Amino acid sequence: MKNIITIVVRLTLSCLLAASVMGICFIFTSNAKKHNEHVQEQRVIYELLGYKGGAKIPDSMALHEVYRYVITGGDKQSIGYLVPQGHGKDKGFLFVNIDLTGGFLASKNVALSESEALDPKIRDKAFEQAAGPGHTVKFADQTIVVTDSGARIAYLLGGKFQGFKTFINVMLAVDPGFAILGLEVLEHEEDPGLGAEIDQDYFKNQFKGKPFEALKAIDVVKAPIPSDYLQALNGKVSEEDIMKFREQYKGKDVYALTGATISSKAVTEGVKGIVTKFGYRLNVLDKILKEQQLAVSF
Amino acid sequence: MANDKSSLQLITRGILSENPIFKLALSMCPAVGISTTVMNGFMLGVAVLFVQVFSSVTISIFKNVIHPRIRIPTYTLTIATWVTVIDLVLAAYLPEAYAKMGIFVKLIVAFAIITMRLEMFACKEPVKDSFWDGMGMGLGFMVGMMAIGFVRELLGSGAILGYDVLGFKPLLFFILPSAGFFVVGLMMAFFNWIEVYYKRSKGLK
Repeated sequence: MKNIITIVVRLTLSCLLAASVMGICFIFTSNAKKHNEHVQEQRVIYELLGYKGGAKIPDSMALHEVYRYVITGGDKQSIGYLVPQGHGKDKGFLFVNIDLTGGFLASKNVALSESEALDPKIRDKAFEQAAGPGHTVKFADQTIVVTDSGARIAYLLGGKFQGFKTFINVMLAVDPGFAILGLEVLEHEEDPGLGAEIDQDYFKNQFKGKPFEALKAIDVVKAPIPSDYLQALNGKVSEEDIMKFREQYKGKDVYALTGATISSKAVTEGVKGIVTKFGYRLNVLDKILKEQQLAVSF
Repeated sequence: MANDKSSLQLITRGILSENPIFKLALSMCPAVGISTTVMNGFMLGVAVLFVQVFSSVTISIFKNVIHPRIRIPTYTLTIATWVTVIDLVLAAYLPEAYAKMGIFVKLIVAFAIITMRLEMFACKEPVKDSFWDGMGMGLGFMVGMMAIGFVRELLGSGAILGYDVLGFKPLLFFILPSAGFFVVGLMMAFFNWIEVYYKRSKGLK
């Protein structure tokens, strides 16, 4: 009995000690980590849009963040959006509530500045107020609509899905017709040398240029990548040839990584899911915005 | 129990006579799974080196207060703490390195070699010796991983450190995990053969 007590007490103390070391470390590093993630995200956004390594971003280009929430009230669920009404201090956001069949429920102005919306806590609170009492709200995802002189040129979609071990966090850029402009893997814990190859160019670039129609039915093939296509994926041939290969392979399936079929399949299915769902949702949102004649910034 | 080895001897022991991969045959899962290129081997080696040294020193400092019945959970806890701390610090202050090292660091928690060194060495020996033993084992692991990675990268993708040296790919098989077993086994045999040969030529038994 005495032994058991000693063991329990000592093990508890060791756990507490370890927990406090990790906790203190977390407190000291979390801000810097968040900052790094934000910087990386910004870099990835511009790289996906084709502005690599500090290329000048035209002033006519603007990013509009759209936030999506799931609203639950009683036994009913609906989808709520926070859509920016324009850039500037007093423009604020528009709250749009849509039921699950795509019917319009309500809309109202939300006094929330763009910088305030970046903080999840403030945003969630503002959204909760807009949704009204008796509703629980849950943040689902955010999308960035990119416009150039008022015309939409791309959408940036973030997404998370199950990989071989844990979640794979990606960011996608699609054009207004939902064809893929680029894919970037932000975070993953796949096995080095096998599944971790998903962040290599020759895998990611296979998605580039795939049209929406091809994406809906995309799958992976277990075969080695033809060597001339591989050269093109790695960017070792001229821009014209890359385009030629992209055209040739745009309707084809994705070549799986050697020894990492599960990871390859996870990414392919994940990308497919993100884009097809987004395509559906955006059409619904656009229809409602048009029907109700709601003015938004994009 | 004091040991009579100098710090240099402790290091060379980890690399040569008690190499974690070729002699102790520990942590074979990563050796087989990850050592597909020299760079991967090096990255994992660096990550293991740091965690091994920090854990060895920690256990050596606290060796007198660790109850013998709960020593294994304590080792696991120590390793997990150091892995988390290194992961957080890298992510916060060295984002460039973290982008490359991140996935390797998180793999380490369950490595046999680290737990085994804590059990066999650090829980009995003074802090200074534990430090050098950790260094030796970490370096030994790194050298072993890089050696396997060298063979597999050369034969599997015809390259060294990502640079194409052969111009063709001899055998794709060597990149696959199953080939890891063959490479590890053959290299183990090779190093043992060298050792036997060396001892014979010196007239040792």
